[in-house]
Amino acid sequence: MSLTVGVPKGALYDEAAARLRAAGIDAPEDPGRRLTCTTADGTRLLFLRPTDVPAYVEFGAADCGIVGADVLWESERNVSELADLGFGACRLVVAARRVDRYHEGAPFPTFLRVASKFTKSAEAYFAERDIPVQIVKLHGSVELSPLVGLADLIVDLVATGNTLREHDLVVVDEIARSTARFVVNPVRFRSAYGAIVDLLGRLDPGAAS
Amino acid sequence: MKLPAGTRDWLPAELQRKHAVEAALRAVFAARDYAEVQTPHFERFDVLASGLGAESAAAAFLFADRSGTQLALRPEMTTPIARLVSSRMRGAALPLRLCYLQPAFRYDEPQEGRMREFTAAGLELIGADGLEADAESLFSALEALDAVGLREARIDINHVAIVESVLDGFAFEARVRAACHEAIATRNLVSLRATLDAAGRASAAPVLVELAMARGGTDVLDTAARLCGSETGRAGLERLRALLARAQDLGYAGRVGIDLALLRDIAYYTGLVFEGYVEQAGFPICGGGRYDDLLPRFGFAAGAVGWSLAVERVLIALERRP
Repeated sequence: MSLTVGVPKGALYDEAAARLRAAGIDAPEDPGRRLTCTTADGTRLLFLRPTDVPAYVEFGAADCGIVGADVLWESERNVSELADLGFGACRLVVAARRVDRYHEGAPFPTFLRVASKFTKSAEAYFAERDIPVQIVKLHGSVELSPLVGLADLIVDLVATGNTLREHDLVVVDEIARSTARFVVNPVRFRSAYGAIVDLLGRLDPGAAS
Repeated sequence: MKLPAGTRDWLPAELQRKHAVEAALRAVFAARDYAEVQTPHFERFDVLASGLGAESAAAAFLFADRSGTQLALRPEMTTPIARLVSSRMRGAALPLRLCYLQPAFRYDEPQEGRMREFTAAGLELIGADGLEADAESLFSALEALDAVGLREARIDINHVAIVESVLDGFAFEARVRAACHEAIATRNLVSLRATLDAAGRASAAPVLVELAMARGGTDVLDTAARLCGSETGRAGLERLRALLARAQDLGYAGRVGIDLALLRDIAYYTGLVFEGYVEQAGFPICGGGRYDDLLPRFGFAAGAVGWSLAVERVLIALERRP
């Protein structure tokens, strides 16, 4: 049986496609404006916004997919994470202005405002530490918010750290490390068992041991 | 004119299709001699919560009456029926065969196959232990799927003692054990490996990953026999082996499989567990199992086995058929 695979566009695409090609699925170098394509071996690829991959997989519209762990933490979708594919590494961190010296242990203000795209992860992090916060959901350029007084802290993804440095922000704490994951729909795992296990073995040769 | 999230209307043609499915289910229940019962749509939350696991209780719609007593819309039917049997039907001759076809309510994020108001149908065989009772429940579920027109549906079975037995063998500390159990149940191999690494128990990974990925027929039971140390685990395996053989005899070969990581997200199961599915849907069509500890929580010493399905899910699966 041929599988339908959700593939993230954007930053993870090139490595995801390379990994699929190494697994014998000829994913295009560049999906361009295409939404889907069917490869020579009959696999159907869906080119998706990264944050949409979990929904496609949970609903069974895709049997399986490749998605960053950071997206999974926020989506709370019911999908099975079968393999850590290792690429697309980045860190979810708490960061602040250097001058506030939170990274050197200066106490947080009593009324703490935190800006993030990753509101669920941010909420969970501060709740675990019993720190009351007001979370401000932002959709981009989160690093601006502490500079203009919108937030005391930000929770954001960091790959190289250049963005933080450019704005004189520093890491206060690391919440988690994210990499690309291979996820499947729990029911499709059963109805397409042979094909899924086969693809898992080709994507991540160490997975079954 | 907005409807609350997760609810829907039924127009005449849709309702007709729903009623056809319900009639087919009632015919299966009647042929197996199950008597239909009805319980209130809402009950005292403390009573329901004593039967439901934490996850199901958290999914209940809650409200209060004027005296402040907390009430809940029932999120499923097995707990209300356990309450009913433990109180009003204590004197009834066992085994007791009861069925239901009633609305139930869950405060979940609405999505395909998961409505906040849905129609629960199922049956409960109460006061019967052993292979015969498990077989009756399992194969009546297949009969029901056949009767509604899902003749291609398959059911995967498991026994909760198998995973317990394998985990016992590693003597993990409680927190690690719970995290491993959760990772196997959700088949999250990444978190399974990370949990074991963090606990300094990476050497357990090959066995637990093999368990989480094991799915198939009798070959899987042979694998499990190797991993399973305890008497209860092996008894669970024998139960599954017997059910597979029975499936063969009944002409259901190829429609019943083993999935050793199938652990339903309802806390009360104690033995056999099973889930039915079809290729065209990304959610299970029916599910059930043995729950010997539920009626005792209501003060009635009887084991039971049963299953349920959501009529709306059957309708989606039928519509989607190639």
